[in-house]
Amino acid sequence: MNNSMSRYVERFNVVERVLHWTLVVAFFILVFTGLGLYARTFFGYFDFFGGPQQGILFHKWAGVVFFTSSLLLALSHLKELFTFDQDDVLWLKKLGGYLSKEHEDIPQGKFNCGQKLFGIFSLVGTLVMGITGIIIWDPAAFGRGLTQFSLMLHALFFTLFMMGVVVHIYLTTLGNPGTISSMLYGHVTKTWAKAHAVKWYRKVQKG
Amino acid sequence: MTNHWIDIRNADVVLMMGANPAENHPVSFKYVLEAKDRGATLISVDPRFTRTSAKADIYAPLRSGTDIPFLGGMIRYILENNLYFDEYVRHYTNASFLVSDDFQMPGELDGLFSGYNAEKRNYDKASWSFQRNEDGTPKTDPSLQDPRCVFQLMKKHFSRYTPEVVSDITGTPQDQLLKVYEAYAATGKRDKVATILYAMGWTQHTVGTQNIRAMAMIQLLLGNVGMAGGGVNALRGESNVQGSTDYGLLFHILPGYLPTPNAGQPDLAAYIAAHTPKTNDPQSANWWGNRGKYITSLLRATYDQSLTAEEGFGYDLMPKLDLGQNGSWLMLFDRMHKGGIKGFFAWGQNPACSGSNAGKVREALAKLDWMVTANLFDNETASFWKGPGVDPSKIDTEVFFLPAAVSFEKEGSVTNSGRWAQWRYEAAKPLGNSRPDLEMINDLQFRVRRLYQAEGGAFPEPILKLSWNYGFKMPDGSIPHIDVHAVAKEINGYFLEDKEIAGKLYKKGDPVPGFALLQADGSTSSGNWLYCNSYADKGNLMARRGKNDPSGMGLYPEWAWCWPVNRRIIYNRAAVDMNGKPWDAKRPVVWWTGNGWAGDVPDGPWKPMSDAEGKKPFIMNADGVANLFAPGLNEGPFPEHYEALECPLDKNPLHSERINPTIRLFSAGAVGEDVDAYYSCDQRYPYVATTYRVTEHWQTGVMTRNTPWLLELQPSNFVELSVELGQEKGIKSGDWCVVSSGRGQVEAVAVVTRRFRPFKVQGMTIHQVGLPYHYGWHTPKAGDSANLLTPTVGDANTMIPETKAFMVNIEKKRG
Amino acid sequence: MARKAFLIDMSRCIACRSCQVACKQWNKLEPEATVNRGSYENPPQLTPQLYNQIQFIEQGQGDELRWLFMNQRCMHCGDAGCIKVCPSAGALYHTPEGMVAFNQDKCIECHYCVNGCPFDVPRYDRKKKVTKCHACVDRIANGLVPACVKACPTQTLRFGDRDALIAEAKAAGKTVYGESELKGLGAVYILEDAPQTYNLPAKPAIPASIFLWKDVIKPLGILGFWGAMGAALLHYVTFGPKKLDEYGRRHDDDLNPPEKGA
Repeated sequence: MNNSMSRYVERFNVVERVLHWTLVVAFFILVFTGLGLYARTFFGYFDFFGGPQQGILFHKWAGVVFFTSSLLLALSHLKELFTFDQDDVLWLKKLGGYLSKEHEDIPQGKFNCGQKLFGIFSLVGTLVMGITGIIIWDPAAFGRGLTQFSLMLHALFFTLFMMGVVVHIYLTTLGNPGTISSMLYGHVTKTWAKAHAVKWYRKVQKG
Repeated sequence: MTNHWIDIRNADVVLMMGANPAENHPVSFKYVLEAKDRGATLISVDPRFTRTSAKADIYAPLRSGTDIPFLGGMIRYILENNLYFDEYVRHYTNASFLVSDDFQMPGELDGLFSGYNAEKRNYDKASWSFQRNEDGTPKTDPSLQDPRCVFQLMKKHFSRYTPEVVSDITGTPQDQLLKVYEAYAATGKRDKVATILYAMGWTQHTVGTQNIRAMAMIQLLLGNVGMAGGGVNALRGESNVQGSTDYGLLFHILPGYLPTPNAGQPDLAAYIAAHTPKTNDPQSANWWGNRGKYITSLLRATYDQSLTAEEGFGYDLMPKLDLGQNGSWLMLFDRMHKGGIKGFFAWGQNPACSGSNAGKVREALAKLDWMVTANLFDNETASFWKGPGVDPSKIDTEVFFLPAAVSFEKEGSVTNSGRWAQWRYEAAKPLGNSRPDLEMINDLQFRVRRLYQAEGGAFPEPILKLSWNYGFKMPDGSIPHIDVHAVAKEINGYFLEDKEIAGKLYKKGDPVPGFALLQADGSTSSGNWLYCNSYADKGNLMARRGKNDPSGMGLYPEWAWCWPVNRRIIYNRAAVDMNGKPWDAKRPVVWWTGNGWAGDVPDGPWKPMSDAEGKKPFIMNADGVANLFAPGLNEGPFPEHYEALECPLDKNPLHSERINPTIRLFSAGAVGEDVDAYYSCDQRYPYVATTYRVTEHWQTGVMTRNTPWLLELQPSNFVELSVELGQEKGIKSGDWCVVSSGRGQVEAVAVVTRRFRPFKVQGMTIHQVGLPYHYGWHTPKAGDSANLLTPTVGDANTMIPETKAFMVNIEKKRG
Repeated sequence: MARKAFLIDMSRCIACRSCQVACKQWNKLEPEATVNRGSYENPPQLTPQLYNQIQFIEQGQGDELRWLFMNQRCMHCGDAGCIKVCPSAGALYHTPEGMVAFNQDKCIECHYCVNGCPFDVPRYDRKKKVTKCHACVDRIANGLVPACVKACPTQTLRFGDRDALIAEAKAAGKTVYGESELKGLGAVYILEDAPQTYNLPAKPAIPASIFLWKDVIKPLGILGFWGAMGAALLHYVTFGPKKLDEYGRRHDDDLNPPEKGA
């Protein structure tokens, strides 16, 4: 029994955190190099990367980094991501309690239902972006139809990612104070754990 | 061409046979399509469905070498169905002339006309003559009913060419055959006109001349000669080949189609007597009656003008043919092959690829002491000594290469198929040390002259007495740079002394305004009577670029200049009726106004034929009319079908004479090592073959194969064959194949296509293949010349080689 | 300036390919090493060095045999997929005459135009820059016709005022291809058969994927992004954050909340 007197519980180890922040950096490089390709409005962003040709190069290699780190991160949590129970249904019904000022008690594991869905989305999105990215890496390498479809999917998942990331950042920062420390320092307060992931908390407490 | 390129647009029917103008004369198709826009029917007859066929309204396939049955069938169709232009035929042709009772035809003599000598392979033409009145004029039957009149004989002769018989020879399905006949024969009306565009597909046969004769007869029967949108039109294969024949490029003619003198004409008088036809018909203009004026003026232009009439104005200095001597291409190379020729100028040509039976040509070049090649690029001829299978150490021929300037780097005239002489200018300076041909010839002349001056030699006069006043002379008499205008002016001709003609005085040194003013007494010069008027009192008419077309018929009389005397359509007096009224009011060429002719320059100033002072329209014939019966040709006065020297049939379906009985045979046939061997109806070579050109290349490809943009379009030799033959031989499109004949073999990429289809002939299925002849070993990966396959045999009249019908085998290349 | 166009009457084409060669000459395009693959068609398709190409189409057999020719080239669409998809403004553009030209200095080598084109026309050259028929911008800007038109002996290729050429073709009873598709093609064809026979799409359109991307996903995506931002902000000011201190106060000692919480 780990009944330590510490206020904190460890949530993410060093590897997880490094992977996460690697993919974050890669993600933002991808965003700012990709926006210029996504729509002409954002063409100016290429200037930050020494012009469009350089920007495209950054995009391609940032893509590789993102793909690898994101995939590794997702794979290391594969089991957790794909384990759902009745509490998740409740979570969904109550929309995680976010449409209420009060904190609703919905017992959740290490990741709540929303986080798991976001994780699954990230995994799928990473695969889609990675595969389509490879297809459009050299636009002449594959058939026109496949390349065109890939370009479309790439754009579609980019927009989904952007929306997802906005929500992700909001909920991990402003929306849920205390959450960010898990990615910054690796641990959360026991209070946070009880509030957000009580089933996980108990499990860790039992050791 | 009797007509000209633009005039094609005036036709109601355009027959393209023995030619592939869309591919080989693409610019002509501008006018062919204009005709189509105006409602014309386009007909393409070709063994292969070509780019021309793709645009035609009617396409009819025929087996190579069977044009005469095809056209003979049309003549029969026209005659049996009374579709001929009666008035025209009656008055403007020799249809009504009565032929000698001794004359017999192939229908009676099993394929021969009367007078054949099997040993000499020629005819005694005595019986091919007209019954004559006492004054020498031919006896006629204007009703055309006499069984001995040309019309009835012709009808009888061609009655054998029924659609069934024709189709069984040509392999053309009968319905296609009749479709062509019907469309074409519909122009036998006075206001309908058809034109024929032909090229090497007709000439390069052992019966080439008769192919064209057959068509000329059709055009006469339908009244299409002389008419706008009509005529008989040879599409020349080179921008200036018309010019080259006008200027006597061939061995048997001098400039202006004057026959080359022979040993039987020892002096000028004998020459003139031999070549000046006579007539007592007051209505015959008999233009060749002027022969003496033209040969004399040519001599005056050629040789020193100090030569007198007694000296024949230099006639003695002219080279003469031995009696019976034939100096044509095949004979020349045969003699070279036998070691009979020491030196050779290959000027702007590539015989190692262009010559029929090119393997023999290449062997022949090795027997020369020296060869000079003048060309733009190195080529298979210039480098024959290092060609495939040739050991350079065994070649003794010394080869010189003179780099020549291209046409855009020199000034001068070119004459197109429509007889227009057009002046061109130097657009760029010649590259490097290359020089215009004229400069090279000028230099050569002076060097040869100096040698004769220094060494004397056996017979120096022809060179030393050559007149050569073409520009500024150095103190030693040489001309550093030849003046092309001086040459052109001499071709036009000058008065050599003051001369009064019809009340007008011409001063010594004046240019002669037209050939009607040339004289037989030595008082005029003209390098080519046909071009007299081109550079005269009004200056260089060839340089004109006037775009006026007062007639609206596309004659453009102020654009360049056209021989003769700027007449755009020759025989145009046949385009009007006896009173000088155009047959076709919509498309008038010339017409009699009551006191003169209007429209095109008329074929002579005389009144229309109905007037007692009037003249008949075909002024170049002594009888004044066109020849439906033509006793001048070697194999007969009417065209008759003979198979090609190499053919898939062991017997002529019509009679016992398989091949043209008057062609010169170089080989006994199928005799082992003989370089001229031919293999007819031989299992080893079962497929009919033909050669042709494609748009993307030109001639033997020396220019185009060295133009990478063009090589990109057609990179290598190819052979086209039918889907059926491809299946039979296991050949697919893109496979490299070996095509072989009795004389050689070439590699080519297979183009298996539905555009070739097997022919049904005499109950057999006959396959035909075709190859372009543009390639040569000098271009990497391009394959060698298709002329390695073609035979050593020529037309009985012209000796043009038969490269359009021969037998080959084709196999997929192994390994 | 009134919109210009090519009028290409395939019924007049004799496949002499002067257009191919004249284009290469004027635009100084390099010759290519080719092989005969059993067809006259060469090079087999448009390349960075070949802006227009004649296709040879054999159809039917026997007396029904037809040999059709097709001049393949940039169609100079009014609504051009290549321009639509190009991220770099001015790399591909409409000239004042309405033709689609390119500026290699602005090309960012993304290759999107290759896939945005409904007709598979743009190619990339050795410098990895976009290249294709530009209707000889340098010639037409100076009042000349494009090189291919100049060289065409049969008036298969014509260039001029678009409306006038179409009106003329229609007056002659011809059906034209490309009059209104893609806001009107700048290469309008007269065909002798259905467009598919000439390897042309019956109803040419910008590829569906490209349309979805540029005309649906792009605007919706931007909307979605700002929507998400707005929603977050709205949530923050309405429901507010899940503050842990408040939660902690309420559950101060309860380190073991009910075992079977709902």
